[in-house]
Amino acid sequence: MAKYDVVVIGAGSTGTAVARDCAMRGLKTLLLERDDIASATVGTCAGMISSGLKYMDEPNIVDMCSDEVVYFKRIARHIIAKNPILTPLLEMSDLSSGGNFAEEYSKRAETRDVPPVLFLTPEDSLKIEPMLNPDLIASLYFEEYFIDPFALCMLQALDAKQHSADIKTYCEVTDILTKNGSITGVQYFNRIADKMESVKTKAIINAAGPWAHKIAALAGAKLELRLNKGAHVILDRRVVNVGVIAKAIEGRMIYLFPHENTVLLGTTALDTWEDPDTLVASQDEIEYLLKSMEWVIPSIRDARIIRTMEGVRPLVPTWKIPEGDVTRGYEVIDHEPEGVSGLVSFTGGKLVMCRHMAEAATDLVCKNLGIETECKTHNMPLPGNSDDVDIMALAKEYGVSQHTVERMRARRGSETATILELTRDHPEWKTTICTCEPVIEAELRYAIRETFPQTLNDLRRRVRLGTGPCQGTFCTFKAAAILAEELELSGEEFQLDIADFLAERWKGKRQSIRGEQIAQEELAQGIYACVGNLDQAQEELDYDLKPWEEVL
Amino acid sequence: MSEEEAYQTVLATLKEEGIYPYTEDEMQVVKSIERCINCGLCIQHCPVVAAVGLDRFSGPRSIAVELSRSPPEYWTTADVVYLCTGCGTCREVCPKDVDIPEIVNLIRARIFKHRPDLVPKQLHTADAIIVEHGLAFVPWEDPEEKTESRNMRLERLGLRYIPDQVVKGADVLFYPGCQAEERAQEVKESAKIILDHFKVKFTLLEEVNCCGLPATLLGDDETALELALKLKRKVKDLGVKMLVTTCAGCTSNLAHIAERDAWGIPVYHMLEYLVEEIGIAKLSSAFKQSTEEEPLRVTLHDPCHLIKHTSRITMDYAGQILSLIPDVEVTQSFAHDSCCGGGGLVSYHAGDVARAVMKENIAAIEETGATRVVTPCPLCTAQLEDNLFRQGSSVEVDDMTVFIAQRLPQEG
Amino acid sequence: MNLEADVVVIGGGMAGLVAGIRATEEGMKTVLLRKGQSATAYSSGAIDVIGYLPGGTMPLGSPVEGLQGIASMFPLHPYGLLGFTDAEPDTVSKTIVEKVRTAVSWLKATLLSSNIPLFGDIDSNLDAVTVLGTVKPTCMIQETMWPGSLMLDADSVALFAGVRGFPAFNPRMAAQVFLEHQISNRLPPRKVGHHVLDMAPFGNNYNISSIEIARYLDTEDNLSVLAKKLKKHVERIGATHIALPPVLGFNRARENQLALQDLTGAYAFELLSFPPSVPGLRLQRGLETAFVKAGGTLLVGHHAKMDSLKSNIVKEITAVGPKRNLKISTKAAVLATGKFIGGGITGTENGIRESVFDLMTVSESFRIATSTTPQKLTNTIALSHIGHPLFGSGLSIDPQFRPITGEEVHAAKNLYAAGSVLAGYNYPAEKSGLGVAIVTGYMASRNAVDYVKGVSA
Repeated sequence: MAKYDVVVIGAGSTGTAVARDCAMRGLKTLLLERDDIASATVGTCAGMISSGLKYMDEPNIVDMCSDEVVYFKRIARHIIAKNPILTPLLEMSDLSSGGNFAEEYSKRAETRDVPPVLFLTPEDSLKIEPMLNPDLIASLYFEEYFIDPFALCMLQALDAKQHSADIKTYCEVTDILTKNGSITGVQYFNRIADKMESVKTKAIINAAGPWAHKIAALAGAKLELRLNKGAHVILDRRVVNVGVIAKAIEGRMIYLFPHENTVLLGTTALDTWEDPDTLVASQDEIEYLLKSMEWVIPSIRDARIIRTMEGVRPLVPTWKIPEGDVTRGYEVIDHEPEGVSGLVSFTGGKLVMCRHMAEAATDLVCKNLGIETECKTHNMPLPGNSDDVDIMALAKEYGVSQHTVERMRARRGSETATILELTRDHPEWKTTICTCEPVIEAELRYAIRETFPQTLNDLRRRVRLGTGPCQGTFCTFKAAAILAEELELSGEEFQLDIADFLAERWKGKRQSIRGEQIAQEELAQGIYACVGNLDQAQEELDYDLKPWEEVL
Repeated sequence: MSEEEAYQTVLATLKEEGIYPYTEDEMQVVKSIERCINCGLCIQHCPVVAAVGLDRFSGPRSIAVELSRSPPEYWTTADVVYLCTGCGTCREVCPKDVDIPEIVNLIRARIFKHRPDLVPKQLHTADAIIVEHGLAFVPWEDPEEKTESRNMRLERLGLRYIPDQVVKGADVLFYPGCQAEERAQEVKESAKIILDHFKVKFTLLEEVNCCGLPATLLGDDETALELALKLKRKVKDLGVKMLVTTCAGCTSNLAHIAERDAWGIPVYHMLEYLVEEIGIAKLSSAFKQSTEEEPLRVTLHDPCHLIKHTSRITMDYAGQILSLIPDVEVTQSFAHDSCCGGGGLVSYHAGDVARAVMKENIAAIEETGATRVVTPCPLCTAQLEDNLFRQGSSVEVDDMTVFIAQRLPQEG
Repeated sequence: MNLEADVVVIGGGMAGLVAGIRATEEGMKTVLLRKGQSATAYSSGAIDVIGYLPGGTMPLGSPVEGLQGIASMFPLHPYGLLGFTDAEPDTVSKTIVEKVRTAVSWLKATLLSSNIPLFGDIDSNLDAVTVLGTVKPTCMIQETMWPGSLMLDADSVALFAGVRGFPAFNPRMAAQVFLEHQISNRLPPRKVGHHVLDMAPFGNNYNISSIEIARYLDTEDNLSVLAKKLKKHVERIGATHIALPPVLGFNRARENQLALQDLTGAYAFELLSFPPSVPGLRLQRGLETAFVKAGGTLLVGHHAKMDSLKSNIVKEITAVGPKRNLKISTKAAVLATGKFIGGGITGTENGIRESVFDLMTVSESFRIATSTTPQKLTNTIALSHIGHPLFGSGLSIDPQFRPITGEEVHAAKNLYAAGSVLAGYNYPAEKSGLGVAIVTGYMASRNAVDYVKGVSA
């Protein structure tokens, strides 16, 4: 049986950061993930690595966030973009509570290479963003950074792998083995190999997010979480030029942020006890977001909604206070005092802190193991973060359209040249498979060979397949064939993969289906059901009902 | 920091990030992209895709779905967006009415304004001419030489000369467009002959300026607007009831400008004027007996700026008019409504693409067995003439206005 | 500018064009407006009449069988409405089948004269093969798409041949899917092969579109080059059939199919593919040609604009072009504007609306849908044999095919509706799209013509 120094459970932003840190410090590391990298909470966020302006009541956290932004810019600049943000004010009371927000933000602004909070006149605001409500009286302007959350997790995982960590996706932890109050191993069901497996270890870092309490329970440890869900509505293109923040119906702040070539409208915050796998955005949440944003962007309802998404925050369990008052900091909990030695869990935390959280937990584990180590994760660059990419030169050299190369650069940084090089031996891989983004076959094949996707949905996280306005209508069957070829799937598996991906896309599309998206869906039904007859094939095949589909 | 400084700081970040806010009119155009369902019908019908292949010109679908979603990346479309001939076939077949030709113009305008280094050189040259002369072509320096050229054309085509006239309060302003004014003068002359024959009270402009369509097509919106306003002033000054033109591009462009800038008068192509204002009855009695020994076999070419940017009805009118002319037999070509490749300024910088687009038209024209192809558009006329000549074809090309004028009775 | 018509047809897909051609054949001065092309233009080129009963999972052996099922179980289905006559109740099934047979045979003959021969009739469903390698039941297909004896002859061997750089068809996966399906159903063939051909119409073997290949193969020389390459692989595996994506030619598909048979010894056929497919375009073009040849006036690039219906009768319709409008006075109108793709029906968060006359809309089960959020008319499962009621929503009609109002009365005495703008059937699940369009277009047109003749009498 394999033996590891540490087993990390959960491959979200925290888990992958932990695996990276442990591996870089020389620990023999195994990262176990029930589904795929970034398939849960982190995959449903807007990607803002915030400066912490929301946490002005917790100045230590603000400082930490500011530092982490600087580190991210150092190690992952190729997946970070700047997002200028306007907060239009229709009345002075629209300013979020507390005047020291601007002060807190501005204190460390220079280190993050952004200007301090600025006030803009209504005329200037409208010049920058013509879609704003013309009755605004002023706006605040500040700049935040955004990171691609999927790329961050994948690159952290790949970096861990490069430092000899083992990454196993589709492995669901079923039991944690202990002896005399100490961790001895982990048992898990390997869904790809279709069998139970186990490994020996003395240390487990529980980064399972909204399932952390269930994982802890497997070891007989107690962990409390305050689970809180949030929805996003995704619009088909950048309908606004800059980010917009507005005061929502009950006084919370919500946002409209450009994200790649879409715009995200979010988010809500509702305590939840439902199974996270069954959650979808509710009609109330969708309407709440639209109505709230309508005050500052009156034409928001004209925009085309392509889908919604719903995620669950694993908050630090503080009760009898509104969600907004719960700390955004995190806790690293050592379960040794309660009799489970070797288990460390997380509660709370935000995307921007994942490296910091990983450092804290890895320090703790190393201390418990009696090893002296040094954390380097804030200095060593993540893969792909090297040279600048010359779009025009690459486009010309490989005979690929400039826009295709530009979008590839946005996703893959300096790997762009490596991917394009594949087309020398395979010119047919210059074919565009996803016409919305666009994504060419070379990038798909590269992602399949280098980043271990098992399904189309996994591929979606890596290359944005099916995330555009057509939501997979045209690319699904083409990409499925490529994946099936590479993974040598049977005809049945190929059809099921298509059905599974369409199901996953429908999960988010269904709730907000209206306007142009209905015509899009009619076309998808026309293709896959009417012509492809996959709706009937599904009866013959072994289609598994998904958790969110099992609603009566 | 002062308000002004704050604003400048913001602009600096926006520039660095490549974010150029859309204006409100641009937003209206961009909105139509939201309706695209990625079906690809446009690609099946695009004449440029058919002519050079999907890889060279990723096509209208790509412009709609792919290229305009993220404004900071608009400049990356420069290798594709200048190959569109602006024919509007995509918009006509689109089940969702996505306004791709306007989106193309919008993207070109942004590139022209913010990344002029990516605009094809030849288009900068064309722009320089428009800016300097207010015309799409370099005008004749010597008015006598211009007159000589005009007279040679009149003689060759058997047309009489009607003097220019500029009068206030006329019913009709005849607007020749740059090509008829400076190059194909026979078209301008023929128009005057027609208007004179039907005893129309018409006027010309003291000085012609371009309607601005070429400026729009290369992305110089500023100059296009200037020219439009200049033209409006002249029109208002003359106090006419309507404008008639013999150029297809001017028809659709002026119809757009006249509405946008509230000219308050309708804009007609000569064909529309003849059928709707003069009327079929008067027309049918106007055409003289033919001097041909055998019926003349002609075929029509439909200019995109008429059928796809104005209305298909305009070419129904063309057919109706030709049917009134004795001894003229019209055979329809299977590519009669297929783009000639002369639009979008593609021929200025990618002549091979423009010529490839025309291939199908040529084949179709030859198949009809016609000896002449007639078309009511100066750009199509030039494009057809050029390509038929290159093919070594004996089919001749007539601007329809000239064709009509030649068959009206010569008075005194 | 004004036009005068006896019948105006709004919408130029299958339903509209069928209605228009029929009206013209009956001597009506017919004007047809179409704004863009339609779902018909994207279709695979196969003509479904009915492949599964609503909610059913057994493929129907014949449309006749399906129609009989509809007659007894689904009287409000558009096909079911055909049975609402004054005749005896026990003849309902027979009436429906006869009417469908009339309309479908007429269409077959009409398309034949537009040079589009179809294979099949309502007495049997055919098994057609798709680019995914799946099999679907359909009623009629363009001749080049009939798989011949592939699934009947025990010794058949199929070669799935794709084109390098043409992503819409992956021959390897299609072959695999098809073989697995046939084996599990104990049907031929028992052996398949796959190959990717090199065919680069413009010299690049990437980003090739279906129309490029079709046009390329319209040239004889190119086809013989293709045939030579195929022959090698046909011989390699002993193929009796060659499955190709539907790109055999835009004008010469049938000739090319026969030539391939001569040159390779194997029976080549075209698979059903996804939009926009060349056979779909052919269908659209063939119908338009038939309409114009019959004497109809086709107004391309125009959409219809109406003020809301006054006084229970349609007298004039405005046709809006890019820069010019036309007013058309008419004696009757047929609304065939399609569903969500065609834009005849739209849905916002506030409800489902009909876009020209703002008529009442209903869901697939005939509940009023004008204020229903579209999401409520969907199921949690994306792809299932029940489909989504949203795609069965549209107009409710009376037995004369006139849209009705909330008070169950026709909205106008001379307004008829046909095609996917109608509610009460789910074409993606049933595989009944073009069939309903043909039959309802035929019937609505007949009623419109009768009305006009009655009024003029």
